[in-house]
Amino acid sequence: MRHIAHVLENDFRNFFRYKWWLVGLISMNLADLFIMAMVYNRMLSPEVTRQIKSYFDFFAPGLTVTGLFASAFMIGREVNMERRREVHQYMLSLPMTRFELAFGRVLSGGLRGMVYMSPLLATCFAFIGLPTLNQLFIILVVLFFLAMGISGLSIAIAVSTTSLDKFVTARGLVYYLLFFCSSVFYPFSLIEQLGLEGKFPMILVTFARINPLSNASDLIRSFLLGTPSFSPEMVVSVLVFSAVFTTFAAFAYIKLIERA
Amino acid sequence: MIAVEDYFRYYVGGLSIMTLYSTAVFIGFDIYEEAEHGVFEYLLSLPVTRKQLVIGRSIGGGLRAFIYVGPLICVALYVIGTANPINFLLALFSLFLFAFGVSGMSITLAVAIKSSDRFDILMGVLDALIVRLSTAMYPLGFVREANPLYGWIANFNPVTYAAELFRWGAGIESNLSFENPLLPFLGIVMFFAFFTLLGIVLYDKTIEGGGWQ
Repeated sequence: MRHIAHVLENDFRNFFRYKWWLVGLISMNLADLFIMAMVYNRMLSPEVTRQIKSYFDFFAPGLTVTGLFASAFMIGREVNMERRREVHQYMLSLPMTRFELAFGRVLSGGLRGMVYMSPLLATCFAFIGLPTLNQLFIILVVLFFLAMGISGLSIAIAVSTTSLDKFVTARGLVYYLLFFCSSVFYPFSLIEQLGLEGKFPMILVTFARINPLSNASDLIRSFLLGTPSFSPEMVVSVLVFSAVFTTFAAFAYIKLIERA
Repeated sequence: MIAVEDYFRYYVGGLSIMTLYSTAVFIGFDIYEEAEHGVFEYLLSLPVTRKQLVIGRSIGGGLRAFIYVGPLICVALYVIGTANPINFLLALFSLFLFAFGVSGMSITLAVAIKSSDRFDILMGVLDALIVRLSTAMYPLGFVREANPLYGWIANFNPVTYAAELFRWGAGIESNLSFENPLLPFLGIVMFFAFFTLLGIVLYDKTIEGGGWQ
């Protein structure tokens, strides 16, 4: 445990080294909410307004998940840089097991995501409403596991790519697939409707349904807005994603940095 | 989902401009890389004036952005179609000026700030504000309705001018913010002239004697 705490300390120091960069990133997220979402609020069709009432309220939970994704993914950039600059040789020489090192990295990525996401979640509560204590607990647990899964995914990509360009390209592809094929920006019912009308491939509709980003956003919406209604599937989807990518990233990290 | 007539085509037009803006900004990051790798000294030793260097870099950055965004503009045109080729060529010319202006702005800020971290943050924030407070994603009427201040800023935003001119050139007449295309065109010319001039002055003042470091 002590060794994992050292890895966490190191990664958090790196995280706060970029504090102004984080402030910039948060202001971008807030611009999305207070400018883009407010304008879209005026543009919704009456049919969608009946479903989601306000785009601002609908988008705020999605934005929290967007922020969580961006910050939890940052650990991958650092791991990729360490690999390119061969800092990983030093990391491997530290007096700790490979598992402690790998798990510490995934955990710190997840916790950093949670720290970054907190002001966005607080903004969401301030403007939409507060959840009950139990609901808050479930939201935090689910978001923590989501952050761990994203951190694992980014580390797995970082150790499998040899250059920053390849990492950035892979990150872009993952981002666009996970975000635009989810209910972060628009309700799942619309994606489903397009699928039924044959305007959207059904395989992508299924992907959007099981997408952990959809489920995490909808979980917050279900507690704060009442729609969509809560389902245990939302929690299960995130837990499965987290379990798969945390385990995969830990093993990939151990195997690939030893080989590098 | 959106109650705006022909929103898909409207958005495709705006998307091309957002990408053009983001790509043209990249020249500023190159300046830091050149400084880090010592290429800056080489550029200063070339037999060209400082003025030519800034203008050349602005045009280079703009052209590079255009080449990068070219395929996207082609796809956009395929989706939107063009009603009047002459209007479109005029719009394309103004987009060139817009891309040069954005490159000039990026160079000006990069030279003035001197820290790649601060520049990165500033460009991120600027990108978020300049794109969202424009008509790249939504018509001006809705921006004004959401907040009059947002509408006022969007009215003087070069991204708004570029997006409106591109849509005008492509023949998307509904939801245009300006009745006369000359107004956004003049806005873009002023934006281009201002940042190219400022870039020249700042470049001249800050780079001598290692002042850019």
